[in-house]
Formats: sequence, C-alpha cells, structure tokens
Amino acid sequence: MVTEEKKSVFRVGNAAFINPVLLASGPAGYGLEYSGMIRLARLGGVVTKTISLKPRAGNPGVRLRETGSGLLNSVGLENVGAARFFGEKLPAILEAGIRPVVSLAAEDWDDYTQLLDETSCHRDVDVVELNLSCPNVERGGLAVGTDPAKVDSYVKEARSRLPGVALLAKLTPNVQDIASLAAAAEGAGADGITAINTVIGMDIDIGKRRPVFRMVRAGLSGPAILPVALEAVWRAARAVKIPVMGAGGISSVGDAMKFFMAGAAAVQVGTAIFYDPGLPERIAEELERSGLPARI
Amino acid sequence: MKGNTKRSYKARVISSERISPSCGVVVFERPEGFPDALPGQFVSVRVSDSTVPLLRRPYSIMDLTGLELALLVKVAGRGSAMLASAGPGEVMDLAGPLGGASFDDPGGDDAVLVAGGTGLAPMIFSARTWKRRGSRGRLYLVHGAASRDESPDSFFEADFDKVFRATMDGSAGFSGDVVALLAKLLDEGRISAPLLYSCGPAGMVRALVERTGDRFKSHHTSLEAVMACGVGACRGCTVPLREGGRIVFKAVCDDGTVFRASDIAWEEWW
Repeated sequence: MVTEEKKSVFRVGNAAFINPVLLASGPAGYGLEYSGMIRLARLGGVVTKTISLKPRAGNPGVRLRETGSGLLNSVGLENVGAARFFGEKLPAILEAGIRPVVSLAAEDWDDYTQLLDETSCHRDVDVVELNLSCPNVERGGLAVGTDPAKVDSYVKEARSRLPGVALLAKLTPNVQDIASLAAAAEGAGADGITAINTVIGMDIDIGKRRPVFRMVRAGLSGPAILPVALEAVWRAARAVKIPVMGAGGISSVGDAMKFFMAGAAAVQVGTAIFYDPGLPERIAEELERSGLPARI
Repeated sequence: MKGNTKRSYKARVISSERISPSCGVVVFERPEGFPDALPGQFVSVRVSDSTVPLLRRPYSIMDLTGLELALLVKVAGRGSAMLASAGPGEVMDLAGPLGGASFDDPGGDDAVLVAGGTGLAPMIFSARTWKRRGSRGRLYLVHGAASRDESPDSFFEADFDKVFRATMDGSAGFSGDVVALLAKLLDEGRISAPLLYSCGPAGMVRALVERTGDRFKSHHTSLEAVMACGVGACRGCTVPLREGGRIVFKAVCDDGTVFRASDIAWEEWW
C-alpha cells in the first residue's frame, strides 16, 4: 500500500533509497560478488568496500579469525583504487541495478582532497560514506575518527568539494563519547551518520605465542558487538538531527528492529550476509509489511 | 551481475557415514539447479541455524553426480562436528559451486596427486571427473595423515591407478610425512609423472615445492583457508603471490582455490 511504502522510503540529504536496509561496507565487496546470492536491487543500497585514491593491497598475514559469535578481521582496506573503481566497478554496479553508496578513506590530507575531487567528477555518485574509523590501517582511519576536530575538518572538506552529494560520516565505537563525534560531523555538514564501525580487538595464537594478526589489533564484527552498536546508535541519534544508519551485529529481523527503536533511520547489514545472505531482504520485507517501528 | 552462479541452496542430507574414527563422508541430494562443478571447487555449508559457529564452513567437493553431492569431513572443531553428525533428511544451507580456478585436466599425461588429510576430497573429484571424461593418463595418489584414525579406508582406491599412504605415527603405510614418502617414491623410480597436483595444509604444500619442485613440469595446488564470504567479496582469505617481482594478494576462495604452487610467496604467509 502506498502509505506503507512511504514509511519505508529513506533519505539522506538529497539521496533517496527505496528502503532503509543497506549492506554495510566491507563484507559485500563491491556488491557484484554477491549478486547470485542476494537480490541487491531490492535493497536500499550497497555501501561499497572503502575506496582509496590508490589501490591498496591490504594487510599481510592472517586476516580473519572467528570468535564467540563474532569475527575479527584485519583486511586493511584492500581495494582496487579510485581509478579502477570509477572506471570498472561503478558502471557494473549501476548496470546491475544496485544503488551504491561509495565509501571513501584516505591515508593523508593530500590523498583525501584528490580522492574527493576524483569522486566529484562522477555524477552517478550522489551519496558517499566517509570511513573515518577503520582500525586496520596505520594511517588515516582511527587517527581521524576519534578526534572531533579532525572529524570536523574532514567532513567540512568533503562538504565543500562534493556539493550536492549526500555525506554520511561512519563513526567508530572506540571512543568515550560517540555523541560528540556525531555532533561534530553534523556541525561540519554531514547529512547522516553511520554507527558503528568495528570494535577493536585482538587474538593470540597460544601455540605460536604471538598475536594472530600482524597488526596485532583487528576489528570485531558480528552478533557479539550488537549491544555496543545499539548503545552507540542510541546516543548518536539523541545528539543529532540528521539520520543515523545503525550497523553492528544485526543478524535477525528483530535485531534490525532494535536499531530503529534506538533511533536509527536505516540499518546496514554486514557480517550476517556471510551466513545468512537472505537476511537483508527479509528485513526490508518486514518493514514493508509492518512499517518502521517507532523510536522508543 | 549476469552469469553469477554462486548461489545458496537448501540441500538435504542423504547419508552420513564415518569412514575413519575422525572422518566422515556426508552425501547431499544435489539441489535443483546446482551447476556442474570442477575439481578444486567447493561449497560453503551453514552448519548451524544459530550464530555458533558463526561462519559457513568451506568444503572441497569430493564428488558431484547428477543426483548427489559428496563432501569429506574431518571432525576438527564444533562446525565440522555438526556437519559430520548431520542425519539423513536434515536440510542445510549450502552455497556453491565456489572457486574461480580449478585443476586442469592432465590431458593424457601421468599425474601425481598428493593429499594431506581431507585434501583427499578434491583429488577424488579430480580422478573421477577426468576418468569420466576419458582421460587415459595414470593417476598416482599419495595420501598423508597424522595416523590411521585419519587415514580413511579404501573406498577411493579404485579411482586411482596406485595409492600410497603415509602416516606420521606409522600406524598405516609409510611412517613419516607425505612429502618424505613422495621423495622416496620418486628416488626409487616407483613413480614418474610430469604433473603434480596437491591439496593439504600450507606447510605440506610448501614442503612439496621445496623438496620436490624440480621433479615435476608443473605443480598446481588447491589451497585451504579460513573464509568468510567464499565469493571474493570480503578479501579475508588472501594468499600472497609473487607476480612480476612484487607481492599481490589473491583471494583463495575466488581467485583460487587452485594456484601454481611456485607463485606462492610462502615467507609472506603466516
């Protein structure tokens, strides 16, 4: 019914989505890899793997370790780089009927401004997620996302170089006060917040007596982090007026509903697609059937 | 994307049989629409409806016929125990066929197939596939396991022209590792073939390259890895390869599982 459909339509700035269920950046790659398992065009969108100006090889050594209802990763933002992304991947994504949200990150300020300028050349990109919070890289990443002043300057720069493009700021839970970061992003012109990125963790190989990951620390995702994400979304949503996309450990329709009740305007599903690729579509169907749950 | 055949299916268990104290063969009904597969391709199985264990488990295809899909399962942890104990009639979610690179047909040449543990599965699938196609080369299987408990009995002997076994504790066949056995067989002239295919733990494959690499014209290996997506999306299962003087990371799940063993940058991989 029309009224119910309206309830599900979701906007960030000028960017519209057919429903508020997206795939989170990372697990789904560029989306295309999952096109046999997920009907991607039925989702609100796919947040791409984070793109950097130059291709990134990613981290050496072990990249994955399963934990109790969770997954540690140290992929390290492996990606094809902006030129190949915009030249090859984005056209294929659009061709497949997928609604992309382009995730961006940079190692330093020069790279960042060049990446924004490169992005601004592509009119097909009307919404960008600034990954201010990857724990798996030595430069950029958390060094930016944990400091409200840096969040302010990164978002402001994106605002000025990408006029008309909707901006999402993806925040880390690895801070004392996510509300101040969300407020900083909003103040700098972000159109929405994505919360949360992975939670920092580590593991040790007891046989080898050394950390499992070469970078030592890694990013924890999956059901284990849902309570952390939920609380962060709850606080972020109370600190800003712009929409918050909730992400972190959603592995059932009910989990997604909790995020809406906590104040999220949309949800992103990440790790769960590894074991339940049908989940995002089930969430979207439930929302279409019942409408968005009211915020508590 | 058109042509993406990596789909998820509901598959019903037909039988589950222990073939050694720690290994079993689980046979599924081939799901409707499940495409033909190539040796070295795999499926990822969701062994639990809960989030423990969280990830699907990748299993190399041991056989795929018009009606059946067979997997070789070694009980190593919670996930494999759940799969190995699945009873007839049980339905599991299974994605496949996965893997973008497979074992090439030896094309009439003789070949040595070295398997460590459940690395046996793709070797059985290779032998059966090639024989079904009418390949005439001789196939030698050299299988290594920790002990007799992990060395399944002879259900696969008929698939090969000759089978040699090694166990680390000497409880069955040659006493020692599978690479030492292969070196001995080559030295004694009991095996001679231009092609080497392998599947097993990384340490075994590395030792094969270092100790017998110069004895074969080519060595292709199907790598084992911890995987999350299985479709090349998450980049979690990468292996470092040497490519034109630099190191590149390839996804075992989608760029492999089969690689040229001499390309692998072992010192970069732990």
